[in-house]
Amino acid sequence: MPNLPPNPDDALMGAASRNGRTEAVVPTYYERPMLKAPHWEWNVVTYLFLGGVMGGLGLIQLLAHPERDDERRLKRTARYTAFILAAANPAILITHLGKPERFLNMMRIVKIKSPMSLGVWGLVFYSGAAGANVVRELAVDGVLPRWMRFVAPGFMAPAQALLGAFTAGYTGVLLSATANPFWGSGKRHIPAASVCSGLASASALASLLSTLEGNHAAVHKLERLEMVAGAAELLVLNDFKRASGEYGKPFFEGKRGERLRTYTVLAGTLAPMALNALGQMVKLPKPIDAVRTTVASVLTLVGGYILRDSLIEAGKASARDPKAAFRQPR
Amino acid sequence: MATGFFTDTTLCIGCKACEVACKQWNELPSDGFEFTGNSYDNTSELSGTTWRHVAFVEQMSVDPEGGLHDRWLMSSDVCKHCTNAGCLEACPTGAIIRNEFGAVFIQPDVCNGCGYCVVSCPFGVVDLIEKFDPEGTHYNLASLSESRLDSKQTAVQQSGGVAGKCTLCYDRQKVGFVPACAKACPTESIQFGDLDELRARAKARVETLTERGVEATLYGADDVGGGIGSLNAFFLLTDRPETYNLPAQPVLPSTRQPAGYTAAAVAAVGLALAGWMIFRNA
Ligand code: SF4
Ligand code: SF4
Repeated sequence: MPNLPPNPDDALMGAASRNGRTEAVVPTYYERPMLKAPHWEWNVVTYLFLGGVMGGLGLIQLLAHPERDDERRLKRTARYTAFILAAANPAILITHLGKPERFLNMMRIVKIKSPMSLGVWGLVFYSGAAGANVVRELAVDGVLPRWMRFVAPGFMAPAQALLGAFTAGYTGVLLSATANPFWGSGKRHIPAASVCSGLASASALASLLSTLEGNHAAVHKLERLEMVAGAAELLVLNDFKRASGEYGKPFFEGKRGERLRTYTVLAGTLAPMALNALGQMVKLPKPIDAVRTTVASVLTLVGGYILRDSLIEAGKASARDPKAAFRQPR
Repeated sequence: MATGFFTDTTLCIGCKACEVACKQWNELPSDGFEFTGNSYDNTSELSGTTWRHVAFVEQMSVDPEGGLHDRWLMSSDVCKHCTNAGCLEACPTGAIIRNEFGAVFIQPDVCNGCGYCVVSCPFGVVDLIEKFDPEGTHYNLASLSESRLDSKQTAVQQSGGVAGKCTLCYDRQKVGFVPACAKACPTESIQFGDLDELRARAKARVETLTERGVEATLYGADDVGGGIGSLNAFFLLTDRPETYNLPAQPVLPSTRQPAGYTAAAVAAVGLALAGWMIFRNA
């Protein structure tokens, strides 16, 4: 037999691991992906983002006390906004599915094991609770007959908050309970980060709207809430980076990592935190303060959206890496 | 009776008769015409419209004494019809069911194309079927039945945008036929039948091969781990699973749900408490 030079493809094809010769690195199949990447674009990103915001508003409408004037107005704003978002979300999902009827196929069954199924039902019930609470607001405001406020008895406020926690949380489980190696490596972190980011974005949206309404007392409290949620989000992301190791590289490193650090961490969380802290400490003149709140809120919202987008995009990259797919995180 | 496939890769000659038989029986459109340069594999992967895929691995190397070793592995891949199937658990519409033959079957008229099964299959099998593109080259008139020649679409393309994968020839099994791929396979590399019988046969085959000095292992005849259980389509391999683009450690996605929901609940309760303090103290 001729003495052939070693084949550079040996390692790739796993040949060398056989017959007791040089132990090779894990073979791949022509470096082809083993898994299929998600077919999810802006519509699913938006669906998940709004799921988080909606969930956060569920908590805010519960926290706002009906007997303090500023919180009374906040409660109303949070409820209206939550309902609008809950009503918009199925429409966004439909742009992904292609045909409106296809959304109804999800209503055939309830499947505990499918976060997508549970999530849609969570959304439906959330819309119900949010709708009832909106009717109550309209009845209290005298737009609807006063007796109609009984459509939403007192327990509807905590109900909306509970369902909100679910809609925010499942958007994370939806990703982490898949075969995608990166998503799977965040089985605790992605759901926790989704809840934190959802509440931060919800507080930002509520403070933005309250600023427009001139409800500055409420903004003060919302910004504190936003800071707490943002800090929690950063802690979770930091721990996620440590825990995910190799699996987390498509998310934390390279271009996507840089985008995450710039838009979600720096501009989307740390900058608004600083602005909010400034607002807590110094009393700025009203117009300047309004600009400060607006900027902080918009930054937080953009950061939250980029977080979701980065999660999806990193999932696509992770699916293309056969080595991560061969050893799926438990 | 649960039926399945035993794919004995040592018998595969890479003729791709299974791929062709599957395409024809199921009226699946062609994949286009593309040379990958990856040995004889121009199919590349399973997809929404490719339900059998023959992998080709050429292994050649020289040992330190100058001896040449070469081997050509071929293996016809297919949906594993998992005992605990990630795709089935994930499907929010109930389109994916387990049928009377123990196979995992997608009902195309129920599927809404959400794509959640695609990311929930630990083996990267199921995919969405491309929407029909009349301008594209992705259809094959030869595979069309008379009734569809006008629209130039196969049945599968008519329901484009939904998920597709091996049905274990549900329709053929219903009338007592053997699945098209197993029927077409000239070497009995693809064997179809009762699962218990297939498993026994596969174990005997491993013993025979071991006696002959061939390292052979079964993939999926028993529990593959990660909560998936055994596979109704299992394989006899002579190299590590990764060589054939199979995962060494597949995990059933739903096993991560308890941790996920718990983490979300802990975060929600913590933030709610913080929020309560902020609003109460204000
Ligand atoms: S291999 Fe994938 S597509 Fe086939 S049954 Fe298992 S999870 Fe479903
Ligand atoms: S794409 Fe179809 S089969 Fe797959 S999970 Fe969605 S509804 Fe179910």
